[in-house]
Amino acid sequence: MTFTAVTSKVVLARVRPGGEVLARRGAMLAVTGRVRFSPVSGGPGGGAYGGGVAAALARGLQGEAVALMVAEGEGTVHYGSRGHHVTVVELDGTRPLSVEADRLLAHDASLSSSVVFLGQQGGLRGAVRGAVTGQGLFTTQLSGRGSVALLSHGGTFALPVTAGRQVVVDPQAYVAHEGELRVEVSAAVSWRDAVGRGSGEAVQLRVSGEGTVHVQASEAKL
Amino acid sequence: MSWRLRTPRVLVVDLDGSRGSAVRARTGSMVACEGEVSFKDAGIGGGGGLRAALKQRVAGESLPLMEVSGRGSVHLAVEAGHVLLLELAGEVLRVESESLLCLSEGLRTDVAFTGLRGASSGQGLFTTSVTGHGRVALLSLGGPPIALRVTPRTPLVVDPDAYVGCLGEVRQSFVTDVSWRAVVGESSGEAFSLRFEGSGTVFVQPEERR
Repeated sequence: MTFTAVTSKVVLARVRPGGEVLARRGAMLAVTGRVRFSPVSGGPGGGAYGGGVAAALARGLQGEAVALMVAEGEGTVHYGSRGHHVTVVELDGTRPLSVEADRLLAHDASLSSSVVFLGQQGGLRGAVRGAVTGQGLFTTQLSGRGSVALLSHGGTFALPVTAGRQVVVDPQAYVAHEGELRVEVSAAVSWRDAVGRGSGEAVQLRVSGEGTVHVQASEAKL
Repeated sequence: MSWRLRTPRVLVVDLDGSRGSAVRARTGSMVACEGEVSFKDAGIGGGGGLRAALKQRVAGESLPLMEVSGRGSVHLAVEAGHVLLLELAGEVLRVESESLLCLSEGLRTDVAFTGLRGASSGQGLFTTSVTGHGRVALLSLGGPPIALRVTPRTPLVVDPDAYVGCLGEVRQSFVTDVSWRAVVGESSGEAFSLRFEGSGTVFVQPEERR
């Protein structure tokens, strides 16, 4: 438990030697103790924190690389960003978390992060999904044991997905998912949408497999 | 059919596939769903029929609703607004159309004339009325709504931009407080307000619409 919620929008992180924390730049609100901050070169995947050159390259391609800072030393740090709600997710090491870089507030440096090209997951469909959700063509995947703090508009709720229980999510409300889930774009565009009388739910994400999907209470981007 | 709040900002409606379990929800408000659920436009006038549609066209009050039916559960949320659940047993609920999240099958919607106002709230002179027996979910932006009681002895004045809706036998009038101070830029910032008289409840949200 690296992160504890102080309010629904602020988390407190404990930093100790061997327990460094990575967070997006500018998210630090307050510090106690002897904590040093330094930028992580080449984005979250680069430098000493896993991922290597390939991840750094992918970040560069992504174009929206969110600069991360590492907090080292011993003490506590309060994190928050632009008044958005924060959700803490604990990873037990059995399944990875996939999240858009924009929505990542902070995570344990012990988690290894990699940048996944959405096209790898589902070819053209994956790429289409990235374009539709406004996520771009890359997503960040965190694996290992540790905790992650996610940003959302209005807070998130978790929906379990099992083999017999497929979940449909609004692309704008999708935040992250845990486990090896298949996320596909399905377009149920009918003639009604063409004449402006649609239900407003024409494009949806179909999530199937085994895992959990995190959804926010709003259709606003961060 | 059951309605519950998953978080203070997310309404979950369980549909059992029967005719009576279908609901009408704000267009585009689905954030997630499970099961076999279908969405279609509620039709002209937000399902209120041709007369309501005509009145809406004239009034400029738009009520975009979709019909949600099938078997499964639907999660509804809009702009991280807090959800207020109300049970109507024949009384009339008047609500700003943009604050309406979801309605159960037995309720009717119509356009109601609310008196001369609108210059500041941008809502026109009309509001949406909901009548019948059933459940209704309202949205309150910026935090949980405040319910204020109106009695014949204690009329109430609210900011039109924070007004969500009202329940009961309440008369509504539009009050202007434009004086020479407003002209020279020394106004209180509350030049227009809504005055409620009668007996009932008025719901106000913490955030003012812009």
